[in-house]
Amino acid sequence: MSGSDIHQLAAAYALDAVDERERAEFEAHYPSCPVCRPEVAGFRETLSQVATAGAVAPAASLKATVMDEISATRQLSPLLPGVVVDLATHRQRRQRMLRTMSVAAALILIALGAFVVGRRSNGGDNGYADAAARVFAEPDVRVATLSGSGTGSFKVAWSPTLEQAVVMGDGLVDPGTGKAYELWMIDGAGPHAMHLLDPADGGQVRKPIAVNGSPTQWAVTVEPKAGVEAPTTDPIFAGAV
Amino acid sequence: MLRSSLRRRGLEQPGQDDSNDPLGTLLSLAGRGDQSAFAELYDQLAPLLYGVVLKVVRDPSQSEEVTQEAFIELWRLAPRYDASRGSVRSWAVTLAHRRAIDRVRSEQASRDRTEREAHKRPIQSSDVAEQVVANIDGTRVRKALERLTEIQRQAVELAYFGGHSYREVALLLDVAEGTIKTRIRDGMIRLRDELGVAT
Repeated sequence: MSGSDIHQLAAAYALDAVDERERAEFEAHYPSCPVCRPEVAGFRETLSQVATAGAVAPAASLKATVMDEISATRQLSPLLPGVVVDLATHRQRRQRMLRTMSVAAALILIALGAFVVGRRSNGGDNGYADAAARVFAEPDVRVATLSGSGTGSFKVAWSPTLEQAVVMGDGLVDPGTGKAYELWMIDGAGPHAMHLLDPADGGQVRKPIAVNGSPTQWAVTVEPKAGVEAPTTDPIFAGAV
Repeated sequence: MLRSSLRRRGLEQPGQDDSNDPLGTLLSLAGRGDQSAFAELYDQLAPLLYGVVLKVVRDPSQSEEVTQEAFIELWRLAPRYDASRGSVRSWAVTLAHRRAIDRVRSEQASRDRTEREAHKRPIQSSDVAEQVVANIDGTRVRKALERLTEIQRQAVELAYFGGHSYREVALLLDVAEGTIKTRIRDGMIRLRDELGVAT
């Protein structure tokens, strides 16, 4: 989608009348867009008034069910300002890169395809090669290149159909004693902890991960080795899906 | 005392809480784990969320499930609510509508496959007596919708309540995709202005 077209999507997006891919693209775009952000907010407010007009009381029993459930449901931690700011900056950077990215993705795909074939013939890993082969075979595969202040690089290839992704890290440095890299899946609700990534000798990570959701971005932070449920540091790698 | 007065205020002025969102207080209490604040929030929002979910999903028992999921999600996300991105009501409706859309879209494929059986199945009558909540906003919204052109209104309703993507709406109304995007946008702008939503 071209840069000028994306502004046209605010209304359709607010109505949830876009497909998955447009939703992801628009969610990466609008929070930092001075035109779209207020437009989305205004349309949502409008729709909530429309909803008010169609209010229907649910069965009284629903309240007890909801209250029961929430008493057994952990709340998420608030988002740390640093993470939000960083991601917003990244979104802006991403918009500038949008056009070159599809070309880059195609090139990466070819490179990774060759890599996967190579790995498979070598055999022996943690199920990564098979997962990667399956992910890259799906037409809906999306390859994200994560960048940031960290040394090395991360790539995440994800297939929504398979609900499967593979993570590739290269040239990584030791995150420090008692520390690990942690991967986050970011959607409209914020970051969700995905996996701890422990670089092998040579600074390499190859990891298949199950993905349950619709991420718009991936990010990597350095966290205590045991892992955390919400990021405690700013991402050193991040990239749009 | 404080909360019941907040509730009264919320009920009386459902449309004018932008600058001083009374639900915002309840939500921030709920975000710190206050379940009784959440219970009040539930009372305020349940007819709204159930109403919008029911219009999209249609089936009452499925709509209850989706509404329940939406409230659990509200509870989980309460600590992350960002008032600068909209009112609590608008946030909650967005969240519930999104869940309803996800539900109907994920079921679309299997529904397509079993369409014939589905048609044979008797319509489930809910044992719940649904009570349409009468409110003054109803007339206001209906009037605002009437100010839209026929195609704008149809496009907005098919998208929002029909759960169709704008591409599907274009097919349904037999107009080009580019045209429907513009109609939807124009319709939403007019609706927003008619309802006096500040931008």
